[in-house]
Formats: sequence, structure tokens, C-alpha cells
Amino acid sequence: MSARRLERKPFLAVAVTVAFFAWLYLPIVAVALFSFNSAKSLSVFSGFSTRWYSDFFSNSALLESLSASLRIATVAALGSLVLGTMLALGLERITSRPARAVGAVTLMPLVTPEIVTGVAALLLFTGVGLKLSLSTVTLAEITFSIAYVTVIVRGRLGSMSPEVEEAARDLGCTPWQALRLVTLPALFPALLGSGLLVFALVFDDFVLAFFTTGVDPQPLPVRIYSSIRFGISPAINAVGTLMLLVSGLLIVAALLLPRLFNRKTSSLDLITGGERR
Amino acid sequence: MVPTAWMVAFFVSSMLVVVLLSFGHTQADGQPVFGTTPANFAALWDPVYLELFLRSLGYALATVVLSVVVAYPVAYAIALHGGRYKNALIAAIVVPFFASYLIRMYAWKALLSDEGLVNSGLRKTGLSDGIAFLNTPWAVVGGLVYGFVVFMILPVYASLERMDVSLIEAGKDLYHGPLRTFVTVTIPATRAGLYGGMLLVFLPALGDFVSAQLLGGPRTYMIGNLIQQQFAEGQNWPLGSAMTVAMMAALTVLMIVYLRATTTRTREQS
Amino acid sequence: MTGAVPSATRRSLLKGGLAAGAVAGFAGCGYVPSKTKPTESPLPKSAKSRVDGDLVYFNWADYLDPGVLKGFQEEYGVKVIESNFDSMEGMYAKINAGNQYDITFPIAKWVAKMRREGKLRAIDKDQLSNAEQVYYSGSYFNDPWYDAKSAVSVPFTVYKTGVGWRTDKIDAMTGSWNDLWNEQGAGHIFTLDDQDEALAMAALLLGYDVNTAKASELDEIKKLLISQKKYLRGYSSDDVNNMSGGDAWIHHMWSGDFLYVREALAKKKTDYDFEAPKEGTPINSDAYAIPANAKHPGTAMLFIDWLLRPENAVKNIQYLYYPFPVKDAVAAFNDLAKDVPDADLDVKDLENPDVFRLLPADQVQARAAVWTEVKAS
Repeated sequence: MSARRLERKPFLAVAVTVAFFAWLYLPIVAVALFSFNSAKSLSVFSGFSTRWYSDFFSNSALLESLSASLRIATVAALGSLVLGTMLALGLERITSRPARAVGAVTLMPLVTPEIVTGVAALLLFTGVGLKLSLSTVTLAEITFSIAYVTVIVRGRLGSMSPEVEEAARDLGCTPWQALRLVTLPALFPALLGSGLLVFALVFDDFVLAFFTTGVDPQPLPVRIYSSIRFGISPAINAVGTLMLLVSGLLIVAALLLPRLFNRKTSSLDLITGGERR
Repeated sequence: MVPTAWMVAFFVSSMLVVVLLSFGHTQADGQPVFGTTPANFAALWDPVYLELFLRSLGYALATVVLSVVVAYPVAYAIALHGGRYKNALIAAIVVPFFASYLIRMYAWKALLSDEGLVNSGLRKTGLSDGIAFLNTPWAVVGGLVYGFVVFMILPVYASLERMDVSLIEAGKDLYHGPLRTFVTVTIPATRAGLYGGMLLVFLPALGDFVSAQLLGGPRTYMIGNLIQQQFAEGQNWPLGSAMTVAMMAALTVLMIVYLRATTTRTREQS
Repeated sequence: MTGAVPSATRRSLLKGGLAAGAVAGFAGCGYVPSKTKPTESPLPKSAKSRVDGDLVYFNWADYLDPGVLKGFQEEYGVKVIESNFDSMEGMYAKINAGNQYDITFPIAKWVAKMRREGKLRAIDKDQLSNAEQVYYSGSYFNDPWYDAKSAVSVPFTVYKTGVGWRTDKIDAMTGSWNDLWNEQGAGHIFTLDDQDEALAMAALLLGYDVNTAKASELDEIKKLLISQKKYLRGYSSDDVNNMSGGDAWIHHMWSGDFLYVREALAKKKTDYDFEAPKEGTPINSDAYAIPANAKHPGTAMLFIDWLLRPENAVKNIQYLYYPFPVKDAVAAFNDLAKDVPDADLDVKDLENPDVFRLLPADQVQARAAVWTEVKAS
């Protein structure tokens, strides 16, 4: 393993990095700070108060929205993880042109503007006679998240050698066993990474969710987006801070999980889906 | 395979619906219906729309360039000098990305307003009399970069991680300068991450409407805003569908050109 | 790797293709052109005011005092399940899609549209114990322009559109819509990001009807609005934060939002003023309505009655700063608006011709095309 430390710390790169983190966190700090603002303003801090948090926790509608968002995001992450991985595995085995066309089609969701996918999904569901509900939201979210999983998993598969799986088969494994005992464990960082990514994207999604919700409690971002045009109230800052905390805890958990399973694979791979040499 | 069938059924059929609607029209009662008229596409042949498309392309490209400028130093510093804190630093970059995009963008609007925190700070420290940050093209591009730079940092970081560091050492010996080393050694070695990042930043930035809506001015309208308007106030779903089809066609052409260009270079390099 | 496509993939592609075709075919059934006729059938009957389930509520975000909603839940022992929309078109699309809301809040012309399409059910005034708060003799709302004999709606708020401005930044205003082209304010002027409002503002300045769809008039409106761009800082409906954040010195603004900025947020009230331009000001109103497919219309009736209680109306007025035409609550609003007479509203103002009317689709599209070109250029 080559030495990873170079002699001099590059001043410019470090300076840019520090500036970057400051820039990245400035609005977050502002949101968190103003979520404790006693007045309704977003520019002037008038005093410390937790009224927005008590409003949130006593507002069952917001709590239900949060719970709805969490449920949708979890199911969507799991669903697209399963389907996306199957798709990636399938596409990786085949190099013919129809399959490459399918591969290209799976990238289309990344390109399409969300309002279009939202309206298309709405037209589709209502045209077929399906009643809108949190399930339709989840269905739509899964369909349009598969692409992210497929891209990341394929990237990881591309850098894996097929010989290991073939060796397992030579040693007597059935294809299913080879998949379960060899391929999937090796894909773990990509699976975790893409699963988290889909969770984050779906948890924060507002356009697609708006068009496909029924009369169930709406996902939280729909609530936020419906007020953004006319200006949001500081209560939303409390919501944002809470969302940040929830996701921060999730990430910490994800970082620690590999260590729980006693894996050598470093946890940073969870997002990059790659492998460190 | 189940997933292929699922993808094809749901996604393709919903796209089919959009295509069919793009040839339709709106009835007198406001209900959009399918049809066979190309009138919507004909309506797009207007210099105003062309200018809008070019402007959106410009903003998206500026976003990509700025993202690269920011991503490389950050990824470089963390990958090669992060030491034990690498994981924590990467996590620290990703965590804000989980907080609501809308809330963060709205926070920028409050922060950068004429009497907001940033300007108050500038006035108090005497650095400036106050800068009108908001409602400019730069505010829009800044918002786009803020929203999507993560998609550039992560792939570039992954590539840097996989790269053999001794290449940089060798490059420094050969080229005698950090910048030249960077351009001739580091960038080509990380091009897989770079190309992936460019795609993941460019595509959503092009279709974005939130940044222009919150931070933009009277002349920063983007395709995303245009399409959104047709499905909302404009009540013209067929026209909106036609715009989408046109935009996706243009993007497909661009993507093909881009993929051809990047694959050829890869082949040449190896 | 073999070059042949394994039959499994080929089969699934085929299955997928068939499924796609079938699904699209079914979906198409909903969007096949049909001869539309306005429903001549009688209005769906009104429900009786009684608890028949939880209230499925569909409204703009932050549009009612949370305390009032909570009070309703406690008084009747039901839950309020809230969904929000950010535009009338979004609301309409969701209702059209078959979602069953119990109560929604359409703007005047949308009440007219939905009533014509048979999408709203009747609201029997005799079921509302507080009906005479709104429907007293001589009240405009006994027969408003958008809902003959007030059969399917109960008025919610009334508002007008004018110009809000900073007295400490701008020396003089002329009391005309031309003030949105003010030289001193150049670069700090906002127009509402709203098709009807923006087109109306220009129409009034040119002396045309606010609902005009005449090609020649629309063309002039377009040119006029484009001429404003060099003075404009942006198009935005977030007038509250633009004004209170200091970015706007002159803002095309809704009356209620202005009062909110001045009375609730401003550090110095006298820095802010509002004018109702002399060429005319658009007046608009919105209303409660119960969709025809509501599952719990009885609870919805109770909810409307609850909101008509003067003490609740006062709470809403103090939350929104918009007037509610509830007889015993009007004084509360007049109190809020007393320093800014131009932002004050009387229900009689609704007899004003400058209201946004329901238009046929081709006229809407002509207007939309103009607005698109204004925003895009």
C-alpha cells in the first residue's frame, strides 16, 4: 500500500475546503439559529424561544407528515434497492444492444424534470383508475429512484472481477448461493450508499409527491413547498433542523454499521460505492 | 426479470402518456386530451424559447464549471490529507444534503437579502456598504452550485481515493509545478469521477426551477420554470408536454455527443 | 459472454412492452376528446350539520389560525387531516383526480368553474347556526357574481391588490400603477408572480378590462410589462419577506400581506405605506366549498359553522390580517387597518367590476402565452 501522505499540506486546497464547509453550513446554522427565534422574523433574532418546536410537537398534522415521509422514504429505498440491484445485475451480464437500450432508458428518470414525471404519474394512476394514496406516492418514488441504484451498483460491479463468482460456482455453489454469499456481500458498500441516497432524495422530494398523494397526511416536503411561494414561517425552520438531526443520526449510524459487522470495508465507501486500495 | 418489466411498464408508459399529450390540445372546459396535432411543437419555434433554452444551458454549464472548481480542492484535501478524519469529513459534506433542499435555499434568500445577516455583517465590519446579492443570474447559479456540488465532490473523491498517489509524486518531479501536475496527471487519472460528476450536476441543474424562483430576477427564467408554469398557471398541459419532449430530445442528442466524446478519449488514453 | 439475449430478458422486455401498451391504453381512456356539456343536473344535496367522521381539509398552507383548527378538533372530538396546495390549478388537478376532500378553499372564479362542472355540493344555510353573520339582509354575499344565490360556497376572505412601498426610501408616489415604474426605486421593485394579477395591473394602466383576452390589447399589455423589466428586481409572490427583508422598496402587493408586514413585522411602522391606485384595484375573494364527492360533508358543515363564529373569525383576522366578512368581526379588521385606509376593504367593494372572472380555455391560453413571453424575455 503506497504511502498516502504527501510531504506538504497544500495550502490552497485546505483553504478552499475550509471556506467550502463554512459556505455549506452557513444556511444550516442560520436555520437552526432562527428556529429558536422568539419572533416570526427570518432576519432579526429577537430572543431565545422554543415555541416553534412546541408548536411542531403539538401539531399532529406536522408529526403525521414527518412519519409519512419517513415511511415512504424507507419503503422506497428498500424497493428501489431490490429492483435496482436486480436490474444492475441483469444488465451487467448482457452486452447486446436491446439490453444497452434498456440501460439507457433506465437513465431517463435522471433527465426528466420532476414536474413532468409528477404529472405523468398522476395521469397514469388516474387513467388506470388507481386511487391516490401514500402507496401511490411510494410506487412512483420507487419507479423513479431505481435509476440511481442501478447506476451506482453497476459502477461497483464494473470494478469487480467476475472470476470470483465463477470460482464460487466451480466450487459447487448454485447461482443463487453464489449471488448471496459472494456478489451481494461484495456489493455491500454500493448497496448501502445507494440506499441512503435514495432515502435522502425521496425523503426530500416535493414535486412528485404532491402529484401522487391522496388525502392521507401529506409528506413533509409537500407541506414545505406549498408555502414556499408565499414565504415560509419560522416554524418551518424548526422542521428543517429536525430533519437535519434525523438524517445526521442516520448517517452516523450508517458509518458505524460496517464496524458492527466487523467489516474491513471502510465506511466512506458507503457513498462513493467504490473501493479503496 | 421483474424489474425490467416494472421499469418498462411504469416509466415508459408514463413517458408515453406525456408524448401522446404533447400532440394533444386543451378542450374548452380546460381538460387536456390526446390528439394528433403538431401545433404545440410549432409554437415552440419561437426565438424567445430558444433564448430561454440557451440561457438554461449556460446556467447549467456555469454550475458544472464552478462545481469542478470547488470539488477538486475539497476532494483532494480530504482524500490525500484527511487522514483519520476522512470519513467524518465526507459525512459532514453529505449530512446537510439530507436537510430539506427547499429550506436551505430559502435560508439563503433570508441571509443574502439587503438587510439580512450577510449584508449586516458586511456593513458592520466596514467591508462594504451592502451588496445586492439576490435576484441576479449569479444568485441563481450560486443556488444551483450549492444544491448540486455534492454530486461532483463524491465521484471525484471516489476517483482520487482509487488513484495511485505515486503518480502525483512522479508528476511533480516531471513537471515541476503543482498546477501542471494537476492538469496533466490528476485530472486524467480521475476522469471517470469527473465525467460522472459532470453528468450528475448538469442534468438536474438544467431542469431546476427552485433556484430561479427563489433567488432569481426578471431575466433569469429557466426551462424548469417554463415547463412548471404550463402545468400550473398556464393550464396548458399539452404545451408543457411538448416542451418536455423537446427538451429531452435536445438533451439526448447532447448526451450522445458527450458519451461519444468521453468514451473515445478513454480508449485513446489506455 | 454470449451475444444472444437470454430468453428471460427477452420475455420480460416483451411482457413489459405489452404492459406499457395496456397501461397507456387504459390511461388514454381518461384523456380521449369528448363533447363536454355543462351539467344541467341539479346540485348534489347539502349535508346536515353533524359529525360524520374526521375532516379532510385541503387549503393553502398557513391560511388559518392553528388555534382555531385545534379548537374545532377539541370541540367536536374529530381530527383535521390537512393537505396543502400552492395553486388553484394544483387544487383542481387533485380534486379532478378523484381525491375525496371534505372542504376546500377555491378562489371566486374557481367556485364558478367547479359549480358549473357539478363538482361542489350545495350548502344549506339553514344548517349553519351562524349564517346570519354573513348572509344578513342586504349582504352582497346573498347573491355573489361567482355563485348564484350562494348555493355552494360560503365567503372566506376578501382582498385587494395595490402597491406597498417604503416611505424612507421613496420620496413621492403618484397614486397610480405607474409607480411600479418609479425611477428612484429602480432595481428594488417587485411585481407579483401571478398571471392574473400582473396582466390586470397592466390592463388597468392601459384602461382595459382586467380579464381581457383581445389580441391587440394583450399585445400592448405584453409590451408594457416588458418595458418594466429594467426597473424590476424580480417577480415574486413572497411579498411579505421581500418587504420586511428590505429587498423591496416598492412591491405590487396584496392588501392583507401589507398589513401583516406593517403591523406585525415592521421595526418602524411609518416606514411602510400602501396605495390603492386610481386606475382601479383588482378585488378578489375566496370561499369555503364542499366537494361533491366528500366523504364527511356533515363534519365540513360543522367546520364552516365553527369558522363563522365571531370569536374564531377574529382569531383568523389577527392571524392573517385579511378581512373576513363576518358581521361581528369586521370591527377587528377595521382596527388593524385604521392607519392605512387604502388597505381597508368593505364587502361592498366586491361590486367593483375589477374581479377575476372565469374564462374559456382558449382565452386563458392567450393570456398565459403573453405572461410566458413576458417572463421568458
